[in-house]
Amino acid sequence: MTLLSLAMGRLAQALLLLFVMSLIGFAGVHAVGNPVYNVVNIETASAEDIRLATIALGLDQPLWRQYLLFVSNALQGNFGTSYIYHQPAFSLVMSKLPATLELACCAMLVAAPLGTMLGLLAGARPGSLLDRIVLQTAIGALSIPSFWLSMMLILVGAVATGWFPASGRAATTDLLDQQWSFATADGLRHMVLPVLALAIPNAALIARLARAGTIDVEHLEFSRFCRAKGLSARRILFRHTLPNISLPIVTIVGLQFGGMLAFAVVVESIFAWPGIGKLLIDSIQLLDRPVVMATLTFISVAFVTLNAVVDLFHALLDPRVRVGA
Amino acid sequence: MKSIEKFGRLGLTGLLVIAAMAAGASQPAAAQEELRVATAYKLMTLDPQYANLNENNSLLSQIYERLVYQDENLALTPGLAVSWKALSDTSWEFKLRADVTFHDGSPFTADDVVYSVERIRTFLQPSGGGFRSYLSAIKSVSAPDPLTIVIETDGSVPNLPLAFSSIFIMHRPAQGFQTTDELNAGTSPVGTGPYRFQSWSSGEVLKLVANRNYWGGMPSWPLVEFRVIENPAARVAALATGDVDLADAIPARDVKSLQQRGVKVESIGAARVNFLQFDVASGKAPGVTDKAGKPIGNPFRNASVRRALAMATDRGVIVDKILAGYASPASQFFPEGLPGTSNQLRAQTPDYGAAKALLAKAGYPDGFNLVLAGTAGRYPGDGESLQAIAQSWARIGVSVQPIAAPFSVFNTKRAAGEYGVWYGGCSGESVDIILDALLASPQSGRSRGALNFGHYRNETFDAMLADAESVRQGSERDQALAKATEFVMADQPVIPLYHFHHIVGFRQKVASYVMHPRGWTTAMQALPATE
Repeated sequence: MTLLSLAMGRLAQALLLLFVMSLIGFAGVHAVGNPVYNVVNIETASAEDIRLATIALGLDQPLWRQYLLFVSNALQGNFGTSYIYHQPAFSLVMSKLPATLELACCAMLVAAPLGTMLGLLAGARPGSLLDRIVLQTAIGALSIPSFWLSMMLILVGAVATGWFPASGRAATTDLLDQQWSFATADGLRHMVLPVLALAIPNAALIARLARAGTIDVEHLEFSRFCRAKGLSARRILFRHTLPNISLPIVTIVGLQFGGMLAFAVVVESIFAWPGIGKLLIDSIQLLDRPVVMATLTFISVAFVTLNAVVDLFHALLDPRVRVGA
Repeated sequence: MKSIEKFGRLGLTGLLVIAAMAAGASQPAAAQEELRVATAYKLMTLDPQYANLNENNSLLSQIYERLVYQDENLALTPGLAVSWKALSDTSWEFKLRADVTFHDGSPFTADDVVYSVERIRTFLQPSGGGFRSYLSAIKSVSAPDPLTIVIETDGSVPNLPLAFSSIFIMHRPAQGFQTTDELNAGTSPVGTGPYRFQSWSSGEVLKLVANRNYWGGMPSWPLVEFRVIENPAARVAALATGDVDLADAIPARDVKSLQQRGVKVESIGAARVNFLQFDVASGKAPGVTDKAGKPIGNPFRNASVRRALAMATDRGVIVDKILAGYASPASQFFPEGLPGTSNQLRAQTPDYGAAKALLAKAGYPDGFNLVLAGTAGRYPGDGESLQAIAQSWARIGVSVQPIAAPFSVFNTKRAAGEYGVWYGGCSGESVDIILDALLASPQSGRSRGALNFGHYRNETFDAMLADAESVRQGSERDQALAKATEFVMADQPVIPLYHFHHIVGFRQKVASYVMHPRGWTTAMQALPATE
């Protein structure tokens, strides 16, 4: 019963979020400008051409009616046709998903273990040389703007050494009807630099969290009890400290993963990686409202789902959550 | 997006390339037969008749062909049509090339031309059908025999062959019309061009293979891959590292470092102009105030004020400093030498003393304040030009507040009349298209004055332009256009700033690249290096 009401509450929240998001997105794109100037050739189109195109796109209607039309179509799963690409907006977004997904997954697979490990080791001996190095590096990595980090990675990893390609996605292989690049060596080579660009700041963030958590936990009574029991330092760290600091880490991994799905804009642009973030920013620039709305809806749903997954993990990792629920 | 666009300007690209030079990176040997191109033109649809945007036309011009082409001097040359002539004032005959086949093996005939014209005129509905304005004067199209096309027009259209240099010819399917959706599905883009479609991903990549049966002979490259890399820094990096063999729209400031790295660079003055345009009609120009910040009447209605501002505009700074010499100062709408340009007009060097005197005479001895609007990241040197102009004009007492906006925002506000003076850009297949769009009095239903957001009206100029346009392509028409340009520029309704250069860089695999003032990027222009 409690679980059901919890789920219902979550669902209601999600619907409210989607509603608010769609309002903001819709009004936001409208406020930026009129998409019709990106659809017709502004240098040759007559006023009549522009008028006809405006009607064809439905932009002659009042905004509230356009919004109602959008909502009623969206409820039937139809996000409309892209003004610019003239393809169904939602399938356009989905076609970019594999590229983003494999980038985000690989980046998180690098960042989460690396960050946790460094944070644990640093937090176990606060003030030691290793701790200072980890802390300074993490602060540095977090303060570097994403575009600069990407540029430097290209500079070092591609231009100066020629180890990795500077940009783009290699030939993809077909898997489950989608195009993936992680299955080939060349595809992986293309992924190294953008994955690093995404993973480094995330690893730094996770390392700082893990370090702070470890320092806190190591001072708690159960840690002292473990030590008094004569357990080895390594066993305490991995068997007792790690589970206790994992809650905030799982939360932040979930949030950051969602962020990478949607907002890896800078990295995707610089590495010419054809993902969702790049599609979103291109579409906002071209005022391609159907694609913007489809992307935002997808991102919202993804965030809600990820948060639900994170909650599930909480329950798994922390008996108190289960009891409390 | 602002930050993303900005880093290109921070010179980080330059940094990349310099470091690359120092390190002397070695390149993995790439397959000789494939041409890999990084392009700024993003392909959005495979329907060559859907939207008349360079972003599409540039890449699709390799798959689809046109009846008529324009050479590097913008003169008309035969394409799928071998010759054309006017039968009367209102009818034209095109003789088509024999022995041309489509990529699916079927022969190219006059019926395909009829289909292509009909598709644009009757089938494609707005917002598609961006080419309709080229064909709006056509009354009927007929095919008396498989290699002849006769076109009847409403009234005299002396420029009809030029219009067909923009129309891609498609193949008539078994029945009906091909929809944009069918074409975008990527199954059936069938043209007559030197390269056949292999695969694409919208806004990402286009792969082509050579059309071995091409009427113009075997194409140079068996395989071509276009990668859409819109970010200039990323495009330069891809070329610098050898990820691609050719890259277009190279930022001027990166040319030197690329050259030092062994990349060859070609450039040509673009058949386009960037200019400042004034609202010359409204009683009050938005953003214009006196020195105390109080609104004043529109000073731009006074031609002396416009001339004074033109005299105080330092094009040299923009051309030499901002665009590193990869631009020409503009006094008219195409670079001098192209058809329809005047050899009398010269870009003035600034004369601040005379400009200030002229401004005083016009009733503004103390100058005034204005807001100068423009685009950011749309044209080479756009945002920086606003700053440079602000500095120049400050010397005659006109204080400028530059505002650079993203193109879509700028477009909306300009159309809504929210700017008093602004920076813009315009291009066309011929200079009269620019004159028509920018300076002709707007007429309802016609594409005249589409960019005349300043509401400039000059009946004498309209008549001169109409006279010039009633003459067939040739020196008489060109002279009349030059005269009309000289006449209207004396009134200074706009201040032409510069013609930027298209810059293309390429590596060893490419021996030479033939530049074209229209600036499209195609594999046909690249000649392979022979071993």
